Amino acid sequence: MSATYEKLVDLLVTHFAVEREKIRPDATFEELDLDSLFLVELLLVLQTELDMELADDAVNRTDTFGHLAELVEGRLGVTP
Amino acid sequence: MTPGPGIAVTGLGLVTAAGIGTDVSWRSVCEGRSRATRNPVLDGLPIDISCTVPDLQPARDVGPRSALMHDRFIQLAIVAAREAVADSGLDPKTWDGARVGVVIGCGLGGIATFEKQHRRLLEKGPQAVSALLLPMLVPNMAAGHLAMDLGATGPNFVTASACASGATALGAAAQLLRDDLCDVVLTGGTEANVSRLMVTGFAQMGVLSRRVDDPTAASRPFDAARDGFVIGEGSGVLVLEREADARARRAPVRARFAGYGASADAHHITTPEPEGRSVRRAIRSALAQAGVGPEEVRHVNAHGTSTQVNDVIEARTLRAVFGDGVAVTSTKGVLGHTLGAAGAIEAALTVLAVQHSTIPPTANLDQLDADVDLDVVSGTAREEKVDVAMSNSFGFGGQNAVLVFTAA
Repeated sequence: MSATYEKLVDLLVTHFAVEREKIRPDATFEELDLDSLFLVELLLVLQTELDMELADDAVNRTDTFGHLAELVEGRLGVTP
Repeated sequence: MTPGPGIAVTGLGLVTAAGIGTDVSWRSVCEGRSRATRNPVLDGLPIDISCTVPDLQPARDVGPRSALMHDRFIQLAIVAAREAVADSGLDPKTWDGARVGVVIGCGLGGIATFEKQHRRLLEKGPQAVSALLLPMLVPNMAAGHLAMDLGATGPNFVTASACASGATALGAAAQLLRDDLCDVVLTGGTEANVSRLMVTGFAQMGVLSRRVDDPTAASRPFDAARDGFVIGEGSGVLVLEREADARARRAPVRARFAGYGASADAHHITTPEPEGRSVRRAIRSALAQAGVGPEEVRHVNAHGTSTQVNDVIEARTLRAVFGDGVAVTSTKGVLGHTLGAAGAIEAALTVLAVQHSTIPPTANLDQLDADVDLDVVSGTAREEKVDVAMSNSFGFGGQNAVLVFTAA
């Protein structure tokens, strides 16, 4: 896994108290127990932490964690 | 006025500067030693002391996501409410949640969250402000979170009457039981306002003790050398039920919540009305609802903030109603002034005084103010039968709330 992926995992664990073992590329945010308000917060935190822009509807609850990781990596111009 | 149907106190939960739990708080209050300490959050400010809850760990004491979504005033309330419900023997898994109400007093709400997010807005711009700012800030979330945590889907609201908020909540809660809108009400108060801005605000008013070099001597209600209060934080939650219901399920009743009286001074934004006319009216209403006369009241847990003005006016008012027949104490000497939580924490301590026949001492009362002509308990706790006890709470804006408890 890429450094960005690992960074996102750490952020979910430390900031959103998601259990590390639950986090897989194919896990949806619903499965990670992140509701729509938490998702908005996650996107805001990402923008501040990574100094990048993300629309507040960039991901929804049925999207996977892997999808978010790809989106972030794309914005950062990093190859997975 | 005839006394209303008996309301039983069947559960207590306390989180105070003495620690987490009713027993540790009651023991500390009975020892009569102040819990005030220097507070690193306030470093560099003229007033840097407070009565802060030690060792609250949100992830351990509340839940894994607590730090993300709860301001401290919510965390304190959740911990106190869980203890109170467990103490009552009621089981949230099996109770009829629609008949369980929640009424919590809170003066300010998530003020630390507000300050942190405001700083982010100024320093980093709007994108850096948390989407959870509002649900962490607004005071009504104290009651809202207790509903979510315990599955209580009955009437649910927060009362705000500044430093009387917690006592006002108890009065409103009893009314829900009398009106048969609920069978159980979780009621109390919560406050976590020990922030740089709030402490500065109170300091600017001149109401805080300046005795920062000797924190444990700073809060000294009714003492001649008092110079203001020590700001505190905490939460107190009580479980109330109609006494008949409590008896029917064989629940231990700690005391009866027998009377509530409330009034407004309509006098000044912060200073109590000097003759205490409205306070006396609130006291008489509470006694009438309880069906007791002033001569039957044995103990008063005073508002007793340790400010010059409050303590003298309150003492004069108590003297006018009760003569010298009551043993008065102010537990703010030990726990500081917890503002919106104070009325509820002190209600719980008054219940314990009735239950245990013990009147706690007022910390730091070395020399009674010459203008306080009352039997104020000092030094060590006094053990004596307390059949009827009263707790006073007065808020900025002249909002007065008085509670009467009787032995079960």
